[in-house]
Amino acid sequence: MTTHSKIRCSLRRFGLVGGIAIAAVFAGPTNAHKDPVKPEQLKLYQEAFMEEVRKGDLLFHGDQATAEALGVADDLSNTGMACAMCHPMASDTHPQSFPKFQAQIAKFATLRDMINWCIEKPMQGVKIDPESEAMKALEAYITWSNTGSVLQPGKY
Amino acid sequence: MSDELDRIRREMHSVLQPEGARPDDSLKITRRTFIHGSLIFGAATVGQAFAWWPLLNTLDIAHAAETPFKFAWISDTHLYPRSLNTRFVDKVVRAAQEVQAMDPPADFLIFGGDLAQLGKIEELELGVDLLKEIKIPKHYIPGEHDWYLDMGKKWGELFGQPNWSFDHKGVRFIGLDTVSRGPDYWTAKNMTPEERMGHMATLDGTVAGPWAGVGRDQLDWMEKTLADWDKARPVVIFSHNPLYEYYPPWNFWIRDWREVHEVLKPFAKVTNIHGHVHQVLYNEIGTMRSIGMLATSWPWPYAPEGLPKLTKPMIRVDPGDPYDGVGWSKIDVGATDKVETEYIMWGRKEVFVQSPEDHDKHVSEVIRPRIADNMWPF
Repeated sequence: MTTHSKIRCSLRRFGLVGGIAIAAVFAGPTNAHKDPVKPEQLKLYQEAFMEEVRKGDLLFHGDQATAEALGVADDLSNTGMACAMCHPMASDTHPQSFPKFQAQIAKFATLRDMINWCIEKPMQGVKIDPESEAMKALEAYITWSNTGSVLQPGKY
Repeated sequence: MSDELDRIRREMHSVLQPEGARPDDSLKITRRTFIHGSLIFGAATVGQAFAWWPLLNTLDIAHAAETPFKFAWISDTHLYPRSLNTRFVDKVVRAAQEVQAMDPPADFLIFGGDLAQLGKIEELELGVDLLKEIKIPKHYIPGEHDWYLDMGKKWGELFGQPNWSFDHKGVRFIGLDTVSRGPDYWTAKNMTPEERMGHMATLDGTVAGPWAGVGRDQLDWMEKTLADWDKARPVVIFSHNPLYEYYPPWNFWIRDWREVHEVLKPFAKVTNIHGHVHQVLYNEIGTMRSIGMLATSWPWPYAPEGLPKLTKPMIRVDPGDPYDGVGWSKIDVGATDKVETEYIMWGRKEVFVQSPEDHDKHVSEVIRPRIADNMWPF
């Protein structure tokens, strides 16, 4: 093969690859690496989230059945108090400001650290596993209830 | 919502405030003088928004008092059975000891409601037992936590009629029942008394609806009780809930607050002292000023909006210290145009916010109503 014909062949190959690439772009790049989220899937994701929020809401308000179902009935509170007694509608929890230096704990803390501090101190309970379903549910409720709050990381 | 609340309050104020009433600037600010200090603070902090509001009240419950006297206020003890939780018990013991130790002694004590947490017989009896330490006359009004387990049966046995009136040294005192008129949300849903109580005891719950109210019959009773009272003489109204609209999503306010103001409209010197809010609160509408008292049990945060503009906010508290942000109150009624309401906030030399860093609301907050109430079987 002459040098010319080699070049022509390369160009043809390049043209073929380039054409496929251009076609791929027009066909929809999302298909190349990620499936689109269908409305019914989105609905399921939201339902899963709201189910956690609902559980967290009940835990936060001292619902015994939910605490038992999530295995934290003996841990959350030993004073009869519930989170919502100091935080109606999860007010004054400021999830949008974590992580931050938290004065009561005297350390740089996450929201989960703070939830566990409240369980241990005002409610005289026992710290729950930060990865537990109960913690995720509490976090989901607190975050959901404060959805409209402005993100201010690090604010005291 | 706060704009709407402001508009409503302003409207009521313009209807009720007599023409030509001027602020009294002879009053001095001291750490312990809540009423006057709060007004100056309000003027300084809310600036232009404050312009429509009277700078200082023209009222003084002491003006016509025959001789100076003091009384004490304790409320919102939310007692659990001693076996479950002694931290609230300890604080009632402390408050009772301090009231009994007042020198000169207070003329009487007002207990402003929510003696019990879940309305149980043992909780109410525990409260009576702890307050026995106080030997001066005691007058009780009910809170919703005292009432909704047995619909006030035990409370009535212990304390009698929930609304009452008496005169003392030239002042007419009225105790109101703002809790027993809640609409029936339990019968159709076959709730047990414990379930009914549980919903009522949740400040941010939606199941019980706007339950607080005075009721037409009690409004008529108030009118009758005040019919022979000189319009220029002082009237003090005790109520568990505030007598104006304050953040409806939390069950603070009474739904017929406008009617209450209508009854009190002819009287020039009306002071409302209320519990339920567990926080320092001050408001004026027409000729009535309202003062919110501390709980001994726990402090509530301020609502994200709708706080009366004349409130000088209480300092943010340390939730790790059960004695912080809570306490009781002394009210001095002087013979020389002076009333001082002193918050006995344990563990704090300063009661009011002095700097922006100490203010609860410097992190902006938008919160949503609960959903569990709607998704639950009830």
